[in-house]
This record gives sequence, C-alpha cells and structure tokens, in this order.
Amino acid sequence: MLAWTIYISFLGVLVLMLLPRDDARLARITALTTAVAGLIVALMGSFQQANPAEIVTITKCAWIPTLGASYYLAADGISLTLVVLTGLAAVAGILFSWNIEKRTKEFFAFYLALIGGVYGVFLSFDLLLLFVFYELTIIPKYFLIARWGSTRKEYGAMKLALYSFIGSHLVLIGLVATWAVARTSLGHASLDLKELAQATLPLEFQKWAFPLTFVGFAILAGMWPFHTWAPTGHVAAPTAGSMLLAGVVMKLGAYGCLRVAMVLFPEGARMWSGTIAVLAVIGIIYGAGVALVQKDFKFVIGYSSVSHMGFVLLGLATLNTVGLSGAVLQMFSHGIIAGLLFAVVGRMVYDRTHTRDFGELEGMGLSRALPFAGVTFVLAGIASMGLPGFSGFVAELQVLMGAWKAFPVAAVVTGIGIVVGVAYTLRAVQKAFYADGADRTNMTHGAHALEPISIPERLAAVMLIGVSLVVGLYPSVLLNWIEPCLSSPLFERLLKGGAL
Amino acid sequence: MNVLILKHEITLLLLALGVMLADLWLPPERKRGLGYLASAGVGAILICSLLTSVPESPFAFRQMYVLDGMALFFKRFFLVATILVLLMAVEFSDRIQAGISEYYSLILFASAGMMFAASANDFALLFVALELITVTFYVLVSFQRGRATSLEAGVKYLIIGALSSAFMVFGIAFIFGTSGSFNFGDIAAKLASPEAGLVNNKLFLFGLLFLLVGLGFKIAAVPFQIWAPDVYQGAPTPTTAFLAVGSKAAGMVLLMRVLFVAVPEVTAQWWKLLVVISALTILYGNLCALPQTNIKRLLGYSSISHAGYLLLGIAAATTAGQSAVLYYLSGYLFTVLAAFVVIVLVLRDTGAEEISSLAGLHQRSPLLAAAMTISMVSLAGIPPLAGFFGKLLLIKSALVVGAEHQSFYWLVGIAVVGVVISLAYYLGVVRAIYWGGEAAEKSAVTLSLPATLTVAACLVGILFIGIYPNPLMKAAEAAVLSFK
Repeated sequence: MLAWTIYISFLGVLVLMLLPRDDARLARITALTTAVAGLIVALMGSFQQANPAEIVTITKCAWIPTLGASYYLAADGISLTLVVLTGLAAVAGILFSWNIEKRTKEFFAFYLALIGGVYGVFLSFDLLLLFVFYELTIIPKYFLIARWGSTRKEYGAMKLALYSFIGSHLVLIGLVATWAVARTSLGHASLDLKELAQATLPLEFQKWAFPLTFVGFAILAGMWPFHTWAPTGHVAAPTAGSMLLAGVVMKLGAYGCLRVAMVLFPEGARMWSGTIAVLAVIGIIYGAGVALVQKDFKFVIGYSSVSHMGFVLLGLATLNTVGLSGAVLQMFSHGIIAGLLFAVVGRMVYDRTHTRDFGELEGMGLSRALPFAGVTFVLAGIASMGLPGFSGFVAELQVLMGAWKAFPVAAVVTGIGIVVGVAYTLRAVQKAFYADGADRTNMTHGAHALEPISIPERLAAVMLIGVSLVVGLYPSVLLNWIEPCLSSPLFERLLKGGAL
Repeated sequence: MNVLILKHEITLLLLALGVMLADLWLPPERKRGLGYLASAGVGAILICSLLTSVPESPFAFRQMYVLDGMALFFKRFFLVATILVLLMAVEFSDRIQAGISEYYSLILFASAGMMFAASANDFALLFVALELITVTFYVLVSFQRGRATSLEAGVKYLIIGALSSAFMVFGIAFIFGTSGSFNFGDIAAKLASPEAGLVNNKLFLFGLLFLLVGLGFKIAAVPFQIWAPDVYQGAPTPTTAFLAVGSKAAGMVLLMRVLFVAVPEVTAQWWKLLVVISALTILYGNLCALPQTNIKRLLGYSSISHAGYLLLGIAAATTAGQSAVLYYLSGYLFTVLAAFVVIVLVLRDTGAEEISSLAGLHQRSPLLAAAMTISMVSLAGIPPLAGFFGKLLLIKSALVVGAEHQSFYWLVGIAVVGVVISLAYYLGVVRAIYWGGEAAEKSAVTLSLPATLTVAACLVGILFIGIYPNPLMKAAEAAVLSFK
C-alpha cells in the first residue's frame, strides 16, 4: 500500500506534463490532489501496519540479479514517521505555492518528482534502490531553485547540486566497497539492507567505510563544516523549495546516516561517534550564533536549520535508544517547524513585501498588517525554541537525555546553543513583526498595500501547527513507532554497546 | 571456410555500393530520402545479426577474422549507431551542398570498417579495418566543403590520423618482426611459452607500445587527444556523432582484443601505465570541458573524459571491468546520439553552435529540450539513466581490483572528482536551455516524423538501459566471457 505514495507522485508528474500549458489553476489542483492522495495513502498505510518494530515488506522482486539488487520496498516505524512527514510537507508546500504563476505546471511536476524520490528513499530497503531514489532528487532540486528561486538562485542551485553530488559519490564508493566486502563474507552478492546488516564486516573496513558513507549522507543533512550549501540553497529556493529542502531533503541525509551508514557499520559508528558529536555540537552553536547576526530574515531560518539538524546528528552520535529516537523525532519535528518558518518568511512576508531585510521590515509594522503571519511566526518560533507543548521540545529533550548519558560535556555545551536559539528567534520575531520603530503612516500604508493571508496559506499553517502540537502533547503517537524499531535486529549491533 | 560468416559485412558493403549507384539514377530532390532507405537496410542487417548466434567454428581466413560473442555484440552496437547516424544525416542533408548520397554511403563504408574491426583477430585485419574507418572519416569530416572550419578539421584529422597510422604500422612491423606472426592467437601462444622469451623482448614491447599509441589516437586518450576538440567542433554534426560513438567503440574493441587476447601477459605488467593514462584522460577531459562555450567542442572534451572512464574498466583487466566497458559504451551510444540529434535539429545555422544559442529551447520544442537535458544528466551519470549504471559498474570493477592494487583506489577517487566536475558543465548546458537569457530565435522547431522517432528511440534507449539494466548486463557479460 505504502508503495503507492511513490507511484502516485510520479503519476502526478506524468499527468501534469500532459496538461495544457496555460492552465495554472488546473495544474495546482492536480498537484494538490496528488499530494493529498499521497498523504492519505501514507497515513492509512502507516496506521495499518500492526507492528512498527517489524520491517514489513511491501514489494520485493529481482531487479539486477548479478549484483544482488532487488526492487525491495519495505517499512518499519522510522520509515513510517518520515513517510508521514513527507506527505504533510508535500501538501503544505503546495498550499504555500498557490501563488506560483510562472510555468506553474512545470513547477509542480518537478515538485512532485522530488516528493516521489523522497518517498522512495524512505521506503527502500535495497541499497542500490535507495541510492537511485536519493540521486533522483538532485535534478528536481536544481530546477526548482534555479528556475523559480530568488536571491542568487543559480549559484545556490549549482552549489546544492554539486554538494549533493559529491556526497552521493562518497556514499556510492562506500556502498560499492561494502557490496564487494560483504560478497566474500556472505558468499553471494547482495544489496539487501537487512542481509548486509547481519554480515560481519571487518573492523579495518568499517573504520574507513563508516566516515565515508556517513559524511556522504551528512553533507545533505547539513553537518558542519559541510553545511554551507544549506543557507544559500534555502535562501535561493522558492518558498516551497526551501520548505522541502529543510523539511524533507535534509532528512534524506540524516536518514541515510542512520539507516545505511550506522546500521551497516556499527563498530565504525562507535569508533567515530565522538567526532560526530563534536561536529554536531559545533553545528548547533555555530548555526545559532550565525543566525543571531543575520540581516536577512530568510538567512536566520536557513542557519537555524543547520543548528536544528545538529540536534539530529547529536542524537545519532549518542548511539543509545533515547538519543536515536530523539534524533528521528527531531527529524519529524524540524521538518514540520522549519517548513512553517520558511512559509512565513517566504510566502507570507516576502511575497507581499518583496523584502527580507530586517531594516526594512522593522518599519512596516507587520504584526498589524499581517496579524495571521505574526501569530503563526510566534507559534512556530516557540516550537522552534523548544518550548514545551510543541514537538521540538520532546525531540530535543530526548536528544539531550541521550547525549547526557553518552557525552555529558556535549550535552552541557549544547545548552548554550539552546539559549542562543531562543535569542535569535526572539530577535527575528521582534524585528520582523513587533518593531517599535514603525510609525503610524508607514504602517497604514503597508496595511493597504499588502494583500491579506489567503485561505490555502491559513489551511497549511493551521495544519502544520496542529501537527506540531499533537506530537508535542502526545509524543507517543510517533514514539510508539520509533522506539520499538530500535530494538529490532537491524539496530541490535549498533545499540549493543550503548546501555539505556 | 564459410564465407557466410561475413554476411553482415558483405551486405553492408553491397548496401553502400547500392546507395552510390542509386545516386546515378535518382532525381536530385529524392536523394535525401535515400538515407531512410539506407537506414532501413541497416535495420534489416541488424535484425539479421540479432538472429545470428556464434557459429561452431568462429574463425575465417586462417583465423584472421573471428565471429565470437564479443564481435557480435559490437556488430550490433555499430549497426544501431549507423541507423541513428543515418537518420541524423537525413535531417542534416540541407546543409550539405553536394553529394548527400556519397555522404550516406561513406557512413556505410565506415560502419563496415567498424564491423571488421569488431572481428579482427590479426594485426593485418586490425590495420586494414582501422584504415577503412579512418580514410572514410577524412572525407566525412571535411564534407562541408564550403565551410573553412570543416576543412580545417579535415586537415587536422588527416595529419594526425596519418601520423597515428604511421605509428601503428611501425609498431606492427616490430611485433611481426619479433614474434613472426600477425595472428593474435599465435602471438598469445608464443608469449605464454617461456622459451620464446617474447615477454622480455624489448623490441616486441616497443612495437606494442607504438601500436597502443595508434589506438590511443583513435579513442582520444591523453596524450593523444589533441585533435578531438577541433575535429569534433569543425566536422558536420552527424560525422562528429559517428566519430564519438563508432570510431571510439572501434578503438575500444581493438584495444580490448589486443590487450586481452593477443598479449595478456604484457597487459598484466602494464596495468600501471593504463591507470595513469586513464587518470590523466579523465582529469584533462573534464577540466578542459569546464570553460567551453561551443556545444560540440564541449562534447569533444567530454568524449575525452569518457574515454578515460572506459580505460578505467580496461585497466582493471577483469571480466567485470570489460563487461562494464561494453555496458558503458552502450549507454554512451544512446546518450551522445540524443545530444547530437538535438544539435542537428536545433542549431541549423552551422556557424553558431554556441551553447548560448540553445537558449529558449524549452519554449521552441519541449521534447528536444527534455531530450538534451536527459542526455546531459545521463552523461553526468545520474540515475535512473543509462550513464549511471555504466559508471557504477566501472567503479565497482575498479574497487574490487583495488583490494590487490591500491592505486585503483586513487583512480576511483580521480574518476569521482571528474564526475563531480562534469556535473557542473553538463548542468551549464541545461541552464542555457531553460534560463540562459533571451532566445535569439523564437520560432518553434519543426520536427519531421522520422526525426521525432529518432529522438524518441534515443530516449527510450537511455531510460530502458538505466531502469532495467539486466538484459544488457547479461549480454555484455556473455560477450566478454565468449572472448576469453
């Protein structure tokens, strides 16, 4: 059933390509229908799955027998969490791009192709298949940013494409080497993730294959110091593009780190976990610190993404159940919240005011002119800061608890990052929406000029805030999927060493 | 001896002669359509070759000629390439002032040369086949007599081609002088027996080195690549396409036969040389392609880099490496021909083959824009397109060998650096198509039905090989196993 998320998305691409060129409305509706259908399938499929700890096979058939590759789609609780996230982000992104007038149908075609690839990555349990879906996303990302983006869009798009490509080639070398090594220990060629996870790979091999693969994926997860594509890419992308980049594409990287690099090379992960933790903490603090001094509203969110993804990586580095489930929960939570933040900045504010400069926004009194945007941003900011009640709180708390067990010093230092996180969020809220400097005339002028927040925007914002609240108040809804997974045989060797 | 073993080459030559003769009686306005007829004829030969299997005694002319699985694989390869190039030539015919029928028949002659090259099991046939290819290409390259660049390209190709032929003859003379035979099988047997002492015979190795120089010119490997960009740029586009696909593949098949059938012992010693050449070729091709503004020149440099990737598979010297080469070439065939078909159809004003003149193509013809994009993305090796699996198989074969020879890890590293660099310039072409500034020409590109079908055939090839690689991988493996 879940496989249909992929097929529906690509079917949507085909249908969009056949639509008449000028009918933007039809294209929007088609795209929305496709995304909603994908979300419904994702939700139904996820809640149907009785035991999330188990890896439930969806389809499996031979693809390239000589390499041992098969078309193998399956899902466990972690896949389910991220598939649902993808569905939500897809629908929200389309609602927030309702105002795209330039080549609408092509925009949504690339958009849905990207979504289809992302679903594919989260559902693949064959390494080659996973990799194919992973690389499939490069071209849609490139097109979305370079054609429909804004500030330095071509630079941002090319940078992202090259970074992704470098990362995926590191991964490719790691995968091929694993295939070759596992072939001797297994006695036959295999690219089946479950099978490879059981193969004992030599320690010497894991020692270099792990960092290669992990870094390859982590480039896309925005790990410091390979994060530099993220702020420029996010800023250059159109609103829906940055929502997807931050919401799901960065998750692809983090998911790859966990699902491929850590599961395949558990001993390697243990060897390198300290280094990853250090890089993650630097990322958290650096991202937050840089976000604090930005003049461009969107750059604040761009760097905050780097900071929040640092939590995911820190959670992964803990190598214990609490930390890992926190990391997965943080992937979900950040996907929702970052999507919302980018939507406010890109769609609600920038598309109306045509500026993202705090100096100019200060004078506009946006909290009066766009009250809905103000409230949304405050709520999203609260969620982003990690205040209780929203999903970010539960996720970051879990990561910190995990880190406390594994790297007490890292957990303490991360505290600085959280404080700075509060500071940059409040600064952004204050400068963009509640600045004192706004004089009356300017404000009324602004209020006249700005069109009100449209219904699709309201719908999407309410949906995202609602999801974040539900997960924040009742995290078990996701943790019941994530935690049992981590005790499955797939993660056994990874977590064997870490108590808790 | 069974002459019928040569039936494909014989029919192809008869077809070429037929096209030339038909020229005498056909009215000028109908000569253009002769290309369709020729490609239909080649199609019939292709079907015939698909029905042919390897005969019990695969040799002919005292083992000069061999029809093994490898030969058959490459014959099919060349026939597919010829069909597509002929269709391309029909679209190009309005830009050739005189003698379009000769152009068709020269393509057929070159194709026959490639078919012989696929079957060469003897240095004499190797040389004759290569000369048949090269001499026809001298004419094909300079066929647009009115254009100075075409003539310049022709002269360059002639001089460098003659030079490389001289190297090759010189090398073959030494090989014959020291081993006493032209035949690959005999030489291999002599090499294997220690009392002949051929492995350490300096003159023999010297001759072999010269032969490799000659083949290096054909596949445009560094340091014998110097002609490629100029010739690619100046030659009529269908010629360039045939040069990129056919001539290179002919060089590759001969290289594989010489290295793995005739002199396997020497190859086992010389792998380091191949690794170095492969690395340099990859880096040179990709780095030089970066600043190019002419699309054909860009593809010229890109073809150098692809020769480097192919040499990586040859340097690995394993069955996996060789079948990866075959797979890669097949993917490259459809990918590059798709690009050249688009160039033929879009850049009608032959003076302006700048990348920037592709601007606005997505509005003039969405199909061609998509075809060019897919072709570029496939050349960069992004799944699910043909280029990806070729790259994957090559990297796989090299990494497996790396367990024995560490330097292959470096080679893979360089190959990966090259692939990443290549993405930048391939995306540059994509950029020009979709948002490369104002289009000078805004009118829609009119496509004839055969042209559309040609583009569609290339796209289907790229996608099929990329999504379901199994049949081709099996065929490539079978071909390699048969020639051991």
